[in-house]
Amino acid sequence: MLKCGMSGIFGKAIQALSRVSEELWLDPSEKGLALRSINSSSSAYGYVLFSSVFFEHYQWSTLENVNDNDRSLYLNCKLGMKSILPIFRCLNSFERNVEKCTIFTTSDKCKVVIQFFCRYGIKKTHTVCFQESRPVQVNFEKNMCCNTLMIQPRLLAEAMVLFSSNQEEVTLAVSSLNLCLKSSRGESAGLTNSVYSEMIIGPDEFDLFQVGLDTEITFCCKELKGMLTFSEATHVPVSIHFDFPGKPVAVSIVDMLLEANFILSTLADDPGGAHSPPLLCLSQARRRSHRRRLDSKAGVGGAAQAPECISRKAAPKRLCPPGTPAKNSNSKDWAAEHGGCPQLKRANLDDIREASKSCASGAEDDRGSFSLRKFSSMFFGAVSSDQREHLTCPSESLATASDSDID
Amino acid sequence: MKFRAKIVDAACLNHFTRVSNMIAKLARTCTLRISPEKLNFILWDRQPSGGASTWCELEQENFFSEFQMEGVSAENNVIYLELTSENLSRALKTAQNARTLKIKLTNKHFPCLTVSIELLSVSNSSRIVTHDIPIKVIPRKLWKDLQEPSVPDADVSIYLPVLKTMKSVLEKMKNISNHLVIEANLNGELNLKVETELVCVTTHFRDLGNPPLASDDASLDRDPAEMVAVLVDIRKLLPFLAGQQVNPTKALCNVVAGRMVHLDVLHEDVSLQCFIPALALA
Repeated sequence: MLKCGMSGIFGKAIQALSRVSEELWLDPSEKGLALRSINSSSSAYGYVLFSSVFFEHYQWSTLENVNDNDRSLYLNCKLGMKSILPIFRCLNSFERNVEKCTIFTTSDKCKVVIQFFCRYGIKKTHTVCFQESRPVQVNFEKNMCCNTLMIQPRLLAEAMVLFSSNQEEVTLAVSSLNLCLKSSRGESAGLTNSVYSEMIIGPDEFDLFQVGLDTEITFCCKELKGMLTFSEATHVPVSIHFDFPGKPVAVSIVDMLLEANFILSTLADDPGGAHSPPLLCLSQARRRSHRRRLDSKAGVGGAAQAPECISRKAAPKRLCPPGTPAKNSNSKDWAAEHGGCPQLKRANLDDIREASKSCASGAEDDRGSFSLRKFSSMFFGAVSSDQREHLTCPSESLATASDSDID
Repeated sequence: MKFRAKIVDAACLNHFTRVSNMIAKLARTCTLRISPEKLNFILWDRQPSGGASTWCELEQENFFSEFQMEGVSAENNVIYLELTSENLSRALKTAQNARTLKIKLTNKHFPCLTVSIELLSVSNSSRIVTHDIPIKVIPRKLWKDLQEPSVPDADVSIYLPVLKTMKSVLEKMKNISNHLVIEANLNGELNLKVETELVCVTTHFRDLGNPPLASDDASLDRDPAEMVAVLVDIRKLLPFLAGQQVNPTKALCNVVAGRMVHLDVLHEDVSLQCFIPALALA
């Protein structure tokens, strides 16, 4: 459950991530709820982790049965940005109108339900279907970078205003004396009509100015601008970690309540003239393949009062309760092709692809033992009798409704 | 060719920014004419049917604390540059709280007008912002088209009404027809008229006042109530009105019957003149 002021920040995080990609992974864990997004060319990755204390009430629980396969039991929830962004769109009115926001998933349905409790007793419920997809995770050792800068977001935003919206790339040149933010030469060299702009910022404007290596990196500013808007809302200083050209730059904000990292690839110093930023060549952790054991909590054990569970889908047909037509063409298509784990668009995330294949192959094996499989249950929101009541009320469904949707 | 100028006064900077914004609204490309005493923005609508032209003039010493220029040669001590108006206005927009602004002609890879801004930031340290605006130097042979148009002998001169009102009226009239008849007389009356087969809409402005007549016999003979009319394209007139962000110090309209309308607007010390030719009647 989100406090009203926080809904605005949550919404802004989603907006910032929407600049990265059209897809959003909702990835809850014990630490909190993470939102992840990666763009189709794998040149930008956004990750925002809202710690459990960010929420007024956060519950994430899994129930695990002994099983002999090595499956991670997280909610593999991928949402389309088009579905979720409009829900959090009118942020200005949030502060005034929304008193409470709850987000939870419903069992067996691959849906996320977002409810806004507004003034005057108005309750808005949004139900968004998600696709099962293992979230991508990019590990970048930002603390290992030679150069670290920390600056108040407003100051950086003032600098970014310089660059007209039709300039896609920005160059950051740093030396021990100062930081120079300038429009990318590569673009303007050919076009004689674009203005070349440059802003030199002295070290005393930074909260932290640590330069180990005089360097110049060029990256896309679209995602950076999204991140800046978000950080201005949180009032947390922005840290920028980078090294030599070609190595990605991490723009992050770290706070007690949340942590956000945007990792952007930079143009390599290629005399051949690489025109497109290289793909993120980072070590990508395989998505938690080890088994997690959680002691079954009291709340999870009792079925009657159990928090809503999502069962880990082994076979595509199980997405919908048996006997119902496919919910929507999306799930049907990918289910048919990939048996449980949807296709991943990125070409070079080899690790992830392997993981998905193993998932698919594992799925076949498991079909028979579905009923014995571990449940991963997750929700955050109030655990109360109200919840079941909400479930029994018909909620607006964005997907093609199937009759047996409602329990 | 050399040019360097500096503005240190905030009010001058704001005024210069406003002028640049006005020009940016009028046309995409503009010509900047730099001479020892003046700076001119020239907008020349090169259309075969006769386009509108705008001539904006400002005295450089009203703006710049330092101003040095060297033209092409001693006899032709002027510089004509062509640039995209929006580039300049956007660059100036970043100079809102600047301590100083410097403009100079440079040649980095290609000829540029470099706008260099020293910003004072919150933490009392200064930031330096530089914009290199690409420009084209206009060769001497094209200069003859870019001279100050001569103010015509008007049949009627009249002060314009509040420009914002005039603009909103014209915007609505544009939906009816693009052909606008401007009528004025020496009694301070101005009519704006659009006409189609079905409808004729006229807006009457009264008590506008006329500037004092030059001692010209032809004008004295005219019956004060007699209307003098000219047919123009609304679309040439609207951008001019839209660009006026503040009420001008003086706004005058000179009508030459059947030939052209000349708008003369003064914003404090910046003069803006727009010459709109009459539409050729089929």
